[in-house]
Amino acid sequence: MLLVKLAVRNLMRHKRRTLLTAGIIAVAVFYFLLFDTLLVGMDEMAYDNLIDFDSGHIQVTTTGFWEDKEKLPVEHLLTAGPEILETAGSVEGLAGITGQLDFTARLNDGSEELPVRGRGIDPETIKEVFALEDYFIEGSLFKNGEYRVVMGKKLAELLELEVGDFITLLLRTKEDYFNTIDAEIAGFFHTPYPVINEYVVYVPLDIAQQALNAEGELSHLVLRLNHRARTETVASNLQAQLARYDDSLLAAPWYEQEAVAVSGAKNAGAQLILAIILMIAAIGIINAVILAALERKGEIGMMKAQGLQEKEIVLLFVLESAGIGILGGLAGCLAGIPGVGLLVKYGVDFTAMIDMEMSEYGIPILGAIYGRWMPKSFIFVFLYGFLVSLAAGILPAYWAARKDPVEAIYNR
Amino acid sequence: MAQVELNGVKKLYRQGSIEVPALQGIDLTVEKGEFATIFGPSGSGKTTLLNIIGCLDTPSAGHVSLEGKKLDGLSRRELAMIRRRNIGFIFQSYNLIPVLTAYENVEFAAQLVYGKNKKEMRASILETLATVGLEGLENRKPGELSGGQNQRVAIARALVKNPRVILADEPTANLDSKTGQEVLAVMAKMNKEHETTFLFSTHDPRVMECAGRLIEIRDGLVSRDERRNTQGAAG
Repeated sequence: MLLVKLAVRNLMRHKRRTLLTAGIIAVAVFYFLLFDTLLVGMDEMAYDNLIDFDSGHIQVTTTGFWEDKEKLPVEHLLTAGPEILETAGSVEGLAGITGQLDFTARLNDGSEELPVRGRGIDPETIKEVFALEDYFIEGSLFKNGEYRVVMGKKLAELLELEVGDFITLLLRTKEDYFNTIDAEIAGFFHTPYPVINEYVVYVPLDIAQQALNAEGELSHLVLRLNHRARTETVASNLQAQLARYDDSLLAAPWYEQEAVAVSGAKNAGAQLILAIILMIAAIGIINAVILAALERKGEIGMMKAQGLQEKEIVLLFVLESAGIGILGGLAGCLAGIPGVGLLVKYGVDFTAMIDMEMSEYGIPILGAIYGRWMPKSFIFVFLYGFLVSLAAGILPAYWAARKDPVEAIYNR
Repeated sequence: MAQVELNGVKKLYRQGSIEVPALQGIDLTVEKGEFATIFGPSGSGKTTLLNIIGCLDTPSAGHVSLEGKKLDGLSRRELAMIRRRNIGFIFQSYNLIPVLTAYENVEFAAQLVYGKNKKEMRASILETLATVGLEGLENRKPGELSGGQNQRVAIARALVKNPRVILADEPTANLDSKTGQEVLAVMAKMNKEHETTFLFSTHDPRVMECAGRLIEIRDGLVSRDERRNTQGAAG
């Protein structure tokens, strides 16, 4: 207990140095919390965008389509018969269900052509699953049976298209014949999900089915649930039920989409940066312990003369470095509360700062990124800072404790 | 059985490629309860001798025994345990911990031997501080005490462990002569009352007057060893 008291007094002996070292840790902890809240917020926003505009919570599709989903193979479509519709429509916590037919196409305005993803949607049910309709900036969604399309403003700008212009979608049918959809532009949207804005042209489902020669067929049956957290359980149950009708059917949860995997890799890189920041804090601690040991050589010698063992002297210095870690961790966490609070409330708009959209860096978000409260991160970074400080103190403490007592006492 | 026994103790220090002899073959026996001073010119080997007796340093040759137990070949940990239980140190510059109070400085040493018996330890610390004349000053830090008072704290710190031997390296060198005499009187009193063996080095002839035994070291050898009847300061 006296060692703890002595460690605390020693920390107070050099207040400026203690505060400076703890301050370095506090800054590292503070930045970790800001980065972490933004990363988590970015992930959550990316997940929300993916669910709200592209994948829903669960997609029922065929294994053939899923395995080659980047190529949108229309030869592997799903025939949503009454059993499948009934099974999918009766899952627990269902908020909405809609059919979708994705296909590759080329968008032609009469002079130029762009590769796009065509998406046949049912305008009656899409609003139950996706938030697309809330993001129209010009015109509106088409009705079934109309030869009209909608697309992102961003895509339209590439071909200088206006609402009311006519376009042609060139596609290949199930049988690999060329076909076209000639349609009028009904409207433009600008969603927070850049992928949709830049690459997808929406057409009425029945028009798409007709053009692809896929009457009554879908690439996906998309389900929206009331609670995201239930996705895994519901998808697993649905998969089991679907297997009774057709074992080539798949109930894929949203998090098995590729965009989520990209997000994981991004996180790993960010964690590495955070580790480097905290290593800087460790260097601060090592420096502080070495300085303290050099200044207190005489005391170390006296302690050894009193019969203290090396491990007891190590403990004293480690207690001091751990104390700095606790101080720094607490200060960083306290500063992190308003910092994270501001990011949660106001967010940060990197697009405005760097004059480039986040999607150009592979981040499927538009506009400001908002932080999320992560109490676990506060606990994690406090403990991490404490343990890094503790560990960083051990080696220099051994160096101090192993000093020759005679040399230490007489300052030789 | 002698409290401390040295046979043919030599100590060589290496300075670059040159070997400097500090002790060249010391034979010395110190009995329990002696109040002995080691004196001699600077560089004669006094401090080296005290450090070797106190297990802070090891001889290059020869043997050291403490109460019949040979110290040859003991590990750093074993030597630390001997220092903890058997030896008290008093240094010229007190070497108190500046952030601890007088009580806590003594407690720091006391807890090494008292373990968990806090009540007994507290009583012993207060009694020792009172014995060295620091009653009422227990809560003062070294910076708030005079040199003499600090050296008394150092004496209390050495005494509280109730060691077999107290080694003092020029304990009065940083004190004025009056304070030095007072500190010496405290040491002599402890020696009489507790029969603690005191072995201290000095340059000061007035300090030597108090000692019951005079051991002169010259060029790393004992050149004079004289026992006397008086312990002036204690009286």
